[in-house]
Amino acid sequence: MWWMMFLDRMKTLYGYRNLIWTLAWGDFKQRYKNSILGYFWSLLEPLLMLVVLYVVFSNLMRIQVEYYQLFLLLGIILWNFLSRATSMGLNAILGKPSMVQKIYFPREILVLSSCITALLMSIFESLVFIAFMGAFQVPLSANLIYVPLILVFLFVMSLGLSLALAGLNVFYRDVQFIWAVILQAGFFATPILYPVTIFPETLRGIFLLNPMAHIIMTARDAIIYSTPAAAGSLLYAGIMSVVALLIGYVIFAHYEPRFAEEM
Amino acid sequence: MSVIDVEHVEKVFRIPHEKRTTVFEALTGLLRPTDYETFQALRDVTFSVEEGEMLGIIGENGSGKSTLLKILAGIMRPTSGTVTVGRRLTPFLELGVGFNPDFTAVENIRTYATIMGLSKREINGKVDEILAFAGLEAFRDAKLKNFSSGMQVRLAFSTAIQTDPEILLMDEVLAVGDMEFQQKCMDVLNRYRNEGVTIVFVSHDLGSVRRFCDRTLLLNHGEQVALGETDEVIDRYIYGRVAEAPVVAADPVEEAPPAEEASSGNGRVKITGVTFLNKFGAESGRFNAFDPMTIRISYSARERVPDPVFGVALYSERGEHLYGTNTELKDVLIEYIIGEGHIDLQIDRIPMLAGRFLLTVAAHTRNGERYDWQDKAYSFDVIPTGRDAGIFDLPCIWRW
Repeated sequence: MWWMMFLDRMKTLYGYRNLIWTLAWGDFKQRYKNSILGYFWSLLEPLLMLVVLYVVFSNLMRIQVEYYQLFLLLGIILWNFLSRATSMGLNAILGKPSMVQKIYFPREILVLSSCITALLMSIFESLVFIAFMGAFQVPLSANLIYVPLILVFLFVMSLGLSLALAGLNVFYRDVQFIWAVILQAGFFATPILYPVTIFPETLRGIFLLNPMAHIIMTARDAIIYSTPAAAGSLLYAGIMSVVALLIGYVIFAHYEPRFAEEM
Repeated sequence: MSVIDVEHVEKVFRIPHEKRTTVFEALTGLLRPTDYETFQALRDVTFSVEEGEMLGIIGENGSGKSTLLKILAGIMRPTSGTVTVGRRLTPFLELGVGFNPDFTAVENIRTYATIMGLSKREINGKVDEILAFAGLEAFRDAKLKNFSSGMQVRLAFSTAIQTDPEILLMDEVLAVGDMEFQQKCMDVLNRYRNEGVTIVFVSHDLGSVRRFCDRTLLLNHGEQVALGETDEVIDRYIYGRVAEAPVVAADPVEEAPPAEEASSGNGRVKITGVTFLNKFGAESGRFNAFDPMTIRISYSARERVPDPVFGVALYSERGEHLYGTNTELKDVLIEYIIGEGHIDLQIDRIPMLAGRFLLTVAAHTRNGERYDWQDKAYSFDVIPTGRDAGIFDLPCIWRW
């Protein structure tokens, strides 16, 4: 049975948890190690983005949303995670030739650990968001219990995409450029800068096919607006993330046996 | 009990004529079939390794040794056939996998040891030991990028040997480093061996293979040529390649000059060829140290030539004159020669330890008038069998 194999694989990966963490933490440290300001810059990046987008969209586009700064920042942070995890995951195999060609451990470990690195970076970024929450004195509510679940969906989906991309990228080296374009388009097609309600009902359906839309919307509801996450959205995001992981894993497993030869 | 079973393993690499590495090329290439060459790296390799045994794998460059090792390690999959590994396997294919130049020695030890399968607790207890063994205690918190390559190798090696393998795969890791380091490697290899670790050892260093390996597998162009007692297989490797050019070595430094250019003489006697015969009477270009060897000098004389003298001179690869003799010095009288023929110089025991040797052959009259003289026109290689250093074996014993 496929799910038995899947569980078996999970058990194997659990046995490698130490390695996964070591690789992820090492990568995280290295990204900030080269400059003392490293940590500072990484906080500055989403802040600058926030300022620019806030100025443009609140004044020029006249978007009227309560706590628009937080609305925007949360969207950016969540989207940044997807974007960063997949961009790093994409290179997880190709970027570490000696780990693929000179030693053996399950190769998905490389992808998984790069997604964890992205997660660490995003957690760090969200310090800015937490500070903003405090500054705007947003009331907290019990709806925060939805947040971990939403984040798990986001992580699982990003991991699934990363697995597929990492496998494909070994064989088709332009996948990374194609993916960069898709991410760029996705940033504007996902309700990050605007609420999905700016579209008429008929068009809205199309935008809501995007699972990221549901993840961002439910996260905003639960964190900023003290509203319980919509059950339908949660379900959709959950199903899509599991589907992404399964398909991603299948694609990865298809290419995995020839990694060492192809690199 | 066997811990590694390899059955009918084949490995075929497909090398496309035009490599499609992008989505665009893959799409536009859908209609045209891909042309590719196949390269059979391994064909029908079958062997098993017993628990606690040390198996050597030898063969020329490109014979499939490393591919086989990678298949054993799980890095590559065989095209067909099966590999069963019954124990925890640790590959030493490259030292310092995952080393990061921006990290300190200690950080790198932790990462590398984790990759090599050590647990956190084991690593914590061993960091100091590793640094001490590498002789790098003082550089604990120095960044790896400031280390010399020798220091990096020492650090990697000291870390790698902390693993507790049940099966060890060893590629030419030993080829790096200075004499002292190589000696350390050998000591560790020996320790593992005495502890009963099963070892698969790939090497060009036949001396080490001979010393350590219980059995040896010989590969040639991916084919399993021989498997059995190390001595026999090495003989097969060194002498089994009849009728190939005498100059064969992993990296020929310099081809011997062609006979015509370096030869001189009046040509009344022509030396038409020199062959080196091994202990089986077959022509060979390389010899085990201390094995017998016969140098056969073929000549042709158009007319009857009375009382010729044949001589040889032996040179090291760098051109140092090592030895010379001729039939006159050995009081061998050749009454006359005419037509084609050959004369043999029989050596019971090659006293050289290792290296390439050049041979000059000559035919002349008793008073030194040259018939033919071919300067360093022939060469052969001597493969070490022992561990003594230098060029020549000095017959000697220690007394104490």
